[in-house]
Amino acid sequence: MDRGVLDVADMKVVFFASLKETLNRDSVDVQLDSSLTVADLKHYLAEHLQQPVLLDKTVKAAIDFDFARETDVIDPARVKEVAFFPPVTGG
Amino acid sequence: MISVQQEDFNVQALYDELCIANITGAVAMFVGRVRGFGHAASSASFFLEHYPGMTERNIEHIVAQAKQRWTLLDVQVVHRVGELSINDQIVFVGVASAHRADAFAACDFIMDYLKSRAAFWKKEITPEESNWVEAKQSDEDSLSRW
Repeated sequence: MDRGVLDVADMKVVFFASLKETLNRDSVDVQLDSSLTVADLKHYLAEHLQQPVLLDKTVKAAIDFDFARETDVIDPARVKEVAFFPPVTGG
Repeated sequence: MISVQQEDFNVQALYDELCIANITGAVAMFVGRVRGFGHAASSASFFLEHYPGMTERNIEHIVAQAKQRWTLLDVQVVHRVGELSINDQIVFVGVASAHRADAFAACDFIMDYLKSRAAFWKKEITPEESNWVEAKQSDEDSLSRW
């Protein structure tokens, strides 16, 4: 399939805390040509990276620095960065 | 002021900043500290990770919610990251208001939300092992108070 530059957007996916350690990486660049949900991206990455831990229900997400839900849609033309991480434990 | 930083903070200096307005009648402050845990009560340390860009945004959102809800004159939040040892200060929340009820409530609210709605992750480190702290259901449940 011919993917023109304008049709495919680069997006960075970053990982934090225990998830980063389990995956042994802090980020991955992905190219998406259509919108998908947070849950879809988890499945895609779990398969692509061969890391089923990403499908763990406790794994949380953020889209461009805002907390996101599983059903939130990621538009690759607008979104620059998606993050996956375990539940937060600050304070 | 909102700050996510490695450096320690000076409670007196933060308090002085909260008192600038001459209509300030009440200042409520909270300081969270590293305490000993389990069998390693005397040799414990923490590593605090955050998500630069998101963490600050989370805190700004929490403070904005508090300002909508209560009548506040000033809010200061400082949260440390990186390696912290036992007895170190971790977090400061200070709220200035005309009256104590608003200051107490907003301070409590901001701390509850910092626990469960800001991108920080704690790792407990002892000489033998290190473990990421698991989120507590009780922290999540605390949000229902608001």
